[in-house]
Amino acid sequence: MSLPLSGIRIVEMGQLIAIPHATKLLADMGAQIIRIETCARLDNYRMQSFYGNSVEGNFWDRAANFYEQNRNKMSLTLDLTDETCLGVLKDLISVSDVFAENYTPRVMRNFGLEYEDLRKIRPDIVMVSSTGYGHVGPWSDFGAIGFTTEAASGLASLTGYRDGPPKLPEIPYADYSAAEHTAFAIMAALVHRANTGEGQFIDVSQSETLTSTIPEAMLDFTVNGRTQQRIGNEHPSISPHGCYPCEGVDSWIAISVETDEQWRSLCHVMGKDEWLSEGAFKDAAARVKHRTLLDAALSSATSHRDAHQLMGQLQEVGVPAGAVLNGKQLLFDPQLKARGFYETVEHDDTTGMPPLPYSSRPWKFSRTPGGARTAAPTMGKHNRYVLAEHLGMSDDAIGLLEESGSIGTGPTTVRPPRVVPLEEQLRRGLIVSHEEDYKQQLRSHND
Amino acid sequence: MTSNSKNNDRRALAGVKVLDLTHHVAGPYCTKLLADFGAEVTKVERPGVGDPARGMAPFPNDEPHPDTSLLFAYLNTSKRGITLDLKSPTGRGLLERLVADADMVVENFSPRVMPGFGLDYESLQRINPELIYVSISNFGQTGPYRDYKATDIVEYALGGLMYILGSHDREPLKHALRQTQFKAGTNAATAALIAYFHRLTTGDGQHVDVSIHEAVASALRDTASLFSYIGAIRQRQNTYSGDMPRSPMPAKDGYIVPIHFGGAVDWDDTSDFLGEPDLKREDFSTPERRLEHAKELHEALERGFGRWNKYDLFQEAHKRRGSIYGVVQSPAEVVDSEQYRHRGYFTEIDHPVIGPATYPGAPFRMSGTPWEASCPAPMLGQDNQRIYREKLGLSKDELMVLRASGVV
Repeated sequence: MSLPLSGIRIVEMGQLIAIPHATKLLADMGAQIIRIETCARLDNYRMQSFYGNSVEGNFWDRAANFYEQNRNKMSLTLDLTDETCLGVLKDLISVSDVFAENYTPRVMRNFGLEYEDLRKIRPDIVMVSSTGYGHVGPWSDFGAIGFTTEAASGLASLTGYRDGPPKLPEIPYADYSAAEHTAFAIMAALVHRANTGEGQFIDVSQSETLTSTIPEAMLDFTVNGRTQQRIGNEHPSISPHGCYPCEGVDSWIAISVETDEQWRSLCHVMGKDEWLSEGAFKDAAARVKHRTLLDAALSSATSHRDAHQLMGQLQEVGVPAGAVLNGKQLLFDPQLKARGFYETVEHDDTTGMPPLPYSSRPWKFSRTPGGARTAAPTMGKHNRYVLAEHLGMSDDAIGLLEESGSIGTGPTTVRPPRVVPLEEQLRRGLIVSHEEDYKQQLRSHND
Repeated sequence: MTSNSKNNDRRALAGVKVLDLTHHVAGPYCTKLLADFGAEVTKVERPGVGDPARGMAPFPNDEPHPDTSLLFAYLNTSKRGITLDLKSPTGRGLLERLVADADMVVENFSPRVMPGFGLDYESLQRINPELIYVSISNFGQTGPYRDYKATDIVEYALGGLMYILGSHDREPLKHALRQTQFKAGTNAATAALIAYFHRLTTGDGQHVDVSIHEAVASALRDTASLFSYIGAIRQRQNTYSGDMPRSPMPAKDGYIVPIHFGGAVDWDDTSDFLGEPDLKREDFSTPERRLEHAKELHEALERGFGRWNKYDLFQEAHKRRGSIYGVVQSPAEVVDSEQYRHRGYFTEIDHPVIGPATYPGAPFRMSGTPWEASCPAPMLGQDNQRIYREKLGLSKDELMVLRASGVV
């Protein structure tokens, strides 16, 4: 069955997440994505998080972060400092619908690949530039990654323990917020183009997309002149509302009680009916006022309970509660599993990697489900296909590009990065644990 | 510009008709994205009470009022508002008439509610076979957690984002405010347009099931694949990493994020740049020694960053290769930021009760089609007359009867 975006071709000069995740969402739904890479410099995500923590052989085709963002895509390597290759890219753009990139503006300027250049080649092209702080303005040429754009957006200043510094998660969160808005932007432009035949240029500021998701704080400032302080997991008007310790190592449960009925149910499940007659907890206002006392009492009550069991008992009686899942528990979570959220993908034989599960997309379509068709491409895997099929280049012409090293299937200079041994990762606090038998455990996941 | 005039609306989604049955945050953010980019969105609220977000803080001067929740005012720009009791048979009949003329319905009730009203996808597609029906829910329309209750913090926990936010020696954290709701809303808007695009070419409608839980879990990079790749579990940061921290560090007047990118840190060079001679100490000369003296390294870095004003350090770092420093901005500083100002990100919206106020504006810029908050958030039932009389052709008397019986 044809997918919603079958027939849409997107040329991507993306790196890391901000553009690659946006196009991954569209690739899952049928768009053809051709990733432009260069043998002169490896994508940063081909340089970390390797299968088996090993950099032997073609390590650039065995990196988790690359596989997470780039499944269903094709890889074409082009050395854009070479005029012929630059010409090839422009030819490819002339037969494409969208050109998406996330470099600082000077990169496209230097290659002559700005929107004004591209619309001469393809008048109805949709071009998307995603930058840390936006395509214009005094910060436009500043490099950025998710951690720094989250800082600039306003969100980081509000997040953190009470009286502690601002906090960021261990993943570049703002990149995803930007990517999700970018996927929407591309679709809006494609709808407009389908109706009018007009292309256009889209300027995504990664920090601005995140600011768009904290309106309560922005408007509290612009209207009331007030800035919230950092309050950890507290909620201004709900208590209990927090993360409480459970039995086991680094095991937690999140609980939030919005109504008196839920409060009674919580007390009952915790075996603490005496809290119901406690004056300090008598109503919502009292519980908010005495939240420190309440959180301490609840923590001591949860600390001998199993997080998953307790979640089940609380949800059974309508109390919002969730076990705090780590990376492994996500893979085995019954809900995500029942919905087929992790999709198992087969890898190219040359990688020596078994089929592995990858996170998918947060929607299910009843008529055109979409999903994983192929793993992320090994480097340059589709050089011949794209050049011959889309551009009609002859075998000889492609052979010449291969001989000159302008296109290829690996880096020109092979310099494996240092991998941090697992024991050192433990000592440095990068990981909390590692399990030797993970391959067997995964086989049971795939069953 | 001509974008106020309906027929000349230059916005990208002009002509897309959305029946908006959403409330709270996730659904309304989805339909706000559609509405501000030009879709004609009709928001349906419960008679008398309305969207519970009308009761959500902040309010101007902290005075609660059903028309002045600033969160509601932001989430519902560019929409028309009507009231309708979906539980009553008359109400359902009216809704079906509205559905007949809509391109999409967006709803974010818990999964049992719409089927309970007889308003599930199967029922509505019989009225409008090309309908796109978008459901947003906590855990999706299927699966063992389908009927679980959730708030933002529960989605953080089960979505896997909470475990990796905070300090390793303390409890996991969530971001401030309501990130999971906005994340799901954004994804839902994308999904709605993908389905709409499919319909443009094939005429086929369909049901789109969006899960807030999966919106969180789909945006964690290699958090789960670390286990499938090396059997490891990522943890929240140790306070002292023995390396360049990736978390906010105090400068003289606030916080910076000292990202070092590409290859190993040149510590001598960093020492010269920050003006902190201690960073050249023998104790910090190898990875092993830095790990052994992690706390001292952290303190030396704090002294270095502490010599700087944060914006100066942010600007200077960008002149150096491999230094991608970030600056932590408060909401006040975002509003005043030279970058946001230059780009004209914030926009002024005049609301009949709130008055003029400064709102976050376009989340991205489109060169050919404008973003515009074409009207402020609706008062409860403000467009009843227009929709029921003019669009559905009800008589004045019929509308009065509906009002009296509480259907609208």
